Amino acid sequence: MTTPPPQGAYTCPYCRMASDGGGGTCPHCGAPVDVRLKVSDSGWIEQPPIRDMAHIRFGHSTCQVSGMYVPVAEMALHDQDWVYFSHHVLLHTDPNIRMGNLPLKGGWKRMRAGMPLIMMTAQGPGHIAFSADEPGETIAVPLAPGRTVDVAEHRFLVATGNVNYGWQNSNVWFTTQDGDDEEWHYPVGRTIDQFAATGGNGLLLLHAPGNTFVRDLQPRQRILVQPGGLIWKDSSVRMFLHFEYPHGQYWFTSSRYQAKSTWLTLEGPGRIAVQSVFERPEGTGYVRRTSGATTHQW
Amino acid sequence: MDRIECQWCKAQNEMGRTNCTTCGAPLDKKDLVTDSGWAEAPRLRDMTEFRFSNSVCQIEGEIVPVAELALAQGDSVFFEHHVMLWKEPQVPMSALNTGGGMKRMVGGMPHILSVAHGPGRVAFSRDATGEVVVLPLHPTMEMDVREHAFLAGTHSLDYSFVRIKGLVNVLHGGSGMYMDRFVTRNEPGLLLLHGYGNVFQRTLQQGEKIMVEPGGFLYKDSSVTMNAVKQNVKTGLMGGHSMYLAEMTGPGRVGIQSMYVHHGSE
Repeated sequence: MTTPPPQGAYTCPYCRMASDGGGGTCPHCGAPVDVRLKVSDSGWIEQPPIRDMAHIRFGHSTCQVSGMYVPVAEMALHDQDWVYFSHHVLLHTDPNIRMGNLPLKGGWKRMRAGMPLIMMTAQGPGHIAFSADEPGETIAVPLAPGRTVDVAEHRFLVATGNVNYGWQNSNVWFTTQDGDDEEWHYPVGRTIDQFAATGGNGLLLLHAPGNTFVRDLQPRQRILVQPGGLIWKDSSVRMFLHFEYPHGQYWFTSSRYQAKSTWLTLEGPGRIAVQSVFERPEGTGYVRRTSGATTHQW
Repeated sequence: MDRIECQWCKAQNEMGRTNCTTCGAPLDKKDLVTDSGWAEAPRLRDMTEFRFSNSVCQIEGEIVPVAELALAQGDSVFFEHHVMLWKEPQVPMSALNTGGGMKRMVGGMPHILSVAHGPGRVAFSRDATGEVVVLPLHPTMEMDVREHAFLAGTHSLDYSFVRIKGLVNVLHGGSGMYMDRFVTRNEPGLLLLHGYGNVFQRTLQQGEKIMVEPGGFLYKDSSVTMNAVKQNVKTGLMGGHSMYLAEMTGPGRVGIQSMYVHHGSE
């Protein structure tokens, strides 16, 4: 006869929440518990996809993730639980789900940033499902009370009602000169979403194209990532731009004009997550002003 | 003699088979059904084969699957020309006039469907990650399919198109002006669709309703009614916005795709 492990005997390496480790998947983030942790030589942890039909628990409700290419997060909402989401990720809903909206401040700024103006709410009881519009993975980020994470634009899928939502300017930008015109660039988007759990554990679901990798940065430890690859980070992680200029053979292929590499520096302490599919930043143009950046010429 | 019933298409198969001979669905895997009753379309194994009439269809690849047909003499399939990936040079081709020229032009649908005749091989695929959905249609079945979503239909199917009723449905339903309709004649037919992302199917009982994002609609039995229903959403900016969901009412099957272009918000 086997003795079931005591509650809290298993700590998920992906979400760091404790559970009894039974059932094959972490009840907080849906990660499989019976797979070997895959860590690259440099320290990136490969986030395993949530198994088809795996369940995640939150409040009195559950979330079931189905599908492999563009997964669907289907929630069975208890009548005391509610979630909020951007309306364009809604896939289907029971007719009896009560829909509402979450007031958002700064509508004009959000419109300029290409962010949704409406955050809808759904209150149980009933089923409601969400999916994104590109192949990738659903990522569950359980939030313990007091924890705040920053999420890149357009990665957000749905969050539980006890997760506070806010947004702010990313403050990561640079301008380039094109004749008399100055062009503005926002490599991680104009704004960044912030989520913080209050009054109990919250659940944040994101969708990231490609594969997902996470790592923990020590205090003052830095890593350079593609700006478009950032999915989320702990709020304690600082970010700023870094430019690298290779020395070209001719003046027009040389530094400050062409073949510039634009990096996002992430500085610990805290956890970061990146996706393997990203939009490449434009490589050309003389950088005139920045939000604060380091440079390296080689 | 014991038989295995395919959970997807209900066809009877010999014991020991691992794939359904009619639709290719794995027979040795449990159906995946969500808590609310959505069944995942069977994930066809790479190189799975199944038969229709005297011909064979083989599904190749998993991210953007290819449906390769080995057409027998006397068999044919029709399709929109942009889904044809390759064909053997000797495969005879003809055209199927769909009728309703101006209507189809307005609706953004092709005037002519291509027809490939056996003997020979021809293959089809679409332009994004997704799944091939195999729908064997028995006599008396009628299936409505989102425009441009069908890969190929076999010669025993009658093709027509139906106008989506109601201006609200057309303007806000997210499925365009028309749906393709496939009706079986006297013998069973086979319909191949491509759904973006993952495909799920649910069978609604008489009068049962489900709200679906219009862009996610893929197919339905013609007995299922579809209506665009307005959802009012208030915002602090400029008063309010609205979005539309497709209210599907049974009886019958409804198929949805998980990756879609959002429609219906303004």
